[in-house]
Amino acid sequence: MNSRKLFAIVNRELGAYFSSPLGYFVLFVFFLIYGLFFWMICTGSHAATMQYFFANTMFVFFITTPLVTMRLWSEEEKNGTAELLKTSPLTIWEIVIGKYLGACCFFLVMSSVTLVYLTFILVLGNPDLMPLLANYLGYFLGVMAFFAIGLFASTLSENQIVSAIISLVILLGLWVIGYAGNMVQGPFGDFLKYISVLSHTEDFFKGVIDLSHVFYLVSLIFLGLFFSVKVLESKRS
Amino acid sequence: MIEVKDLTKTYGNIAAIEKISFSVPKGTILGLLGPNGAGKTTTMRILTTSLAPTSGKATVAGFDVVTAPQEVRKRIGYLPEVPPIYSDMSIMAYLKFVADIKEVPLDKKANRIGEVLEMLDLGKMSQRLIGHLSLGYRQRVGLAQALLHDPDVLVLDEPTRGLDPKQILEIRKLIKSLSGQRTIILSTHILPEVSSTCDDVIIVDQGKIVAADSVENLSQRLAGGKILDLEIKGPSDEVTKAFEKIDGVSAVKSLGRESKGVSKLEVSTDGTLEAREALFNCVVKNKWVLYQLSPVGVSLEDVFLKLTTKDSAL
Ligand SMILES: Nc1ncnc2c1ncn2[C@@H]1O[C@H](COP(=O)(O)OP(=O)(O)OP(=O)(O)O)[C@@H](O)[C@H]1O
Ligand SMILES: [Mg+2]
Repeated sequence: MNSRKLFAIVNRELGAYFSSPLGYFVLFVFFLIYGLFFWMICTGSHAATMQYFFANTMFVFFITTPLVTMRLWSEEEKNGTAELLKTSPLTIWEIVIGKYLGACCFFLVMSSVTLVYLTFILVLGNPDLMPLLANYLGYFLGVMAFFAIGLFASTLSENQIVSAIISLVILLGLWVIGYAGNMVQGPFGDFLKYISVLSHTEDFFKGVIDLSHVFYLVSLIFLGLFFSVKVLESKRS
Repeated sequence: MIEVKDLTKTYGNIAAIEKISFSVPKGTILGLLGPNGAGKTTTMRILTTSLAPTSGKATVAGFDVVTAPQEVRKRIGYLPEVPPIYSDMSIMAYLKFVADIKEVPLDKKANRIGEVLEMLDLGKMSQRLIGHLSLGYRQRVGLAQALLHDPDVLVLDEPTRGLDPKQILEIRKLIKSLSGQRTIILSTHILPEVSSTCDDVIIVDQGKIVAADSVENLSQRLAGGKILDLEIKGPSDEVTKAFEKIDGVSAVKSLGRESKGVSKLEVSTDGTLEAREALFNCVVKNKWVLYQLSPVGVSLEDVFLKLTTKDSAL
């Protein structure tokens, strides 16, 4: 992994978000929804916690993830720039991780608005810091897992809309499977619940850092990146 | 510098290229000529490691494209069919990006970008957004990208596509000036491009090589100096009859009679010099006057059509 090449790709990726109307659209809608949540939850609960806030934003990411990640590889394939990346002295891992980190950086920009919320809570309330840390960790890991899945979906089609639909289907599948798990009894039901993403973010938002959940989310990130690499490798043959 | 042996790429049961073999010595410019769908782009994509061959072997500078792709990538500059450019970047930002991913040494980066901008006459436009450029300028940015890391081998897929006539000449000149230390493969449908730029030519059709030779040899071999154009002052009918009796002449075609008793004829011969001598002697013997005797050069265009067209009418 060469840091100069990696940085070049991350930088180019982040730049792409800020030079397209879609990037600004996502940011705008996102800030709007955050503001709304913030106002509703604050005025509703009067509690110095971000628990409800983050739990709700996870739902927003079922929709925003495809919007952010659909272009990651599909656009390269469509514009013919994939040829440049594939014939430059880059490894496929460098390409995939560079793109992934680029999207994650955009996510950081999106999330910057939560600092407003955080500041309010820290200034006006007297919250415990550990739960806040757990909240943030769950939020970051959860969304990063979503993005890895979105990146994988993007490698599957050169049509961005198709990529978006694929990631939406996978993400919704990983959500709905939890409900199915609640209805099915026995070990199979437990298994379905285990697969469900939200069952692994809930505890973080309650303020608990459980390593098994960290393990699950990190694995999901790894799998998303791994399969993206495999798909791109197979395209060379 | 480039060795290709029995290279085959199949899509399902369609062979895009089939058992293609050729080699390009260091410093030569090879033209890949062929009609649409001949397999030019497929060959180039394999050479540049963007596509794996189904079977066969290809090496660039001694490195196998399948087993040592990274080494090949460091040495090759590739202009794909569609220039691989990002429309949301400025030319400068794009070239900086390319310099980073292609390992242009950091201390030479700015210099090298400047050189390439100069070479392609893009200096004044470097801050322009690529998406706002005309087709020809995009093509030039694509070329700049291929040249940026100063590669030993250049693979250019239709490099003059979308350029205006003046630019075409300039780019051809540039390509010629780049050869020397560099080895270049370019593909084209435009025949003058091959004769004006390339040393060697390979004509491909339906995934197979139908001819491979130096540009001069190829047009000569197929023309063979067999057809002669003659202008003779003398009675057309008699001249025709007399010529037909000469050994080595297979056909005489009158191309019409010009003023002042000059006839134009096209004579097909066996291509030997003796046949030309006999024609000359025959003219002298009959006291006609010979104004012109010249072999008809078959242009590369004819060769190309002949080799790639099944229709015998051509
Ligand atoms: N991804 C693909 N799937 C199926 N067939 C393909 C694919 N890519 C190329 N082909 C086929 O391979 C053959 C060769 O294509 P190629 O693009 O190499 O031709 P070309 O010589 O570059 O043509 P052109 O002059 O039009 O650019 C064509 O018949 C084409 O249809
Ligand atoms: Mg082509």
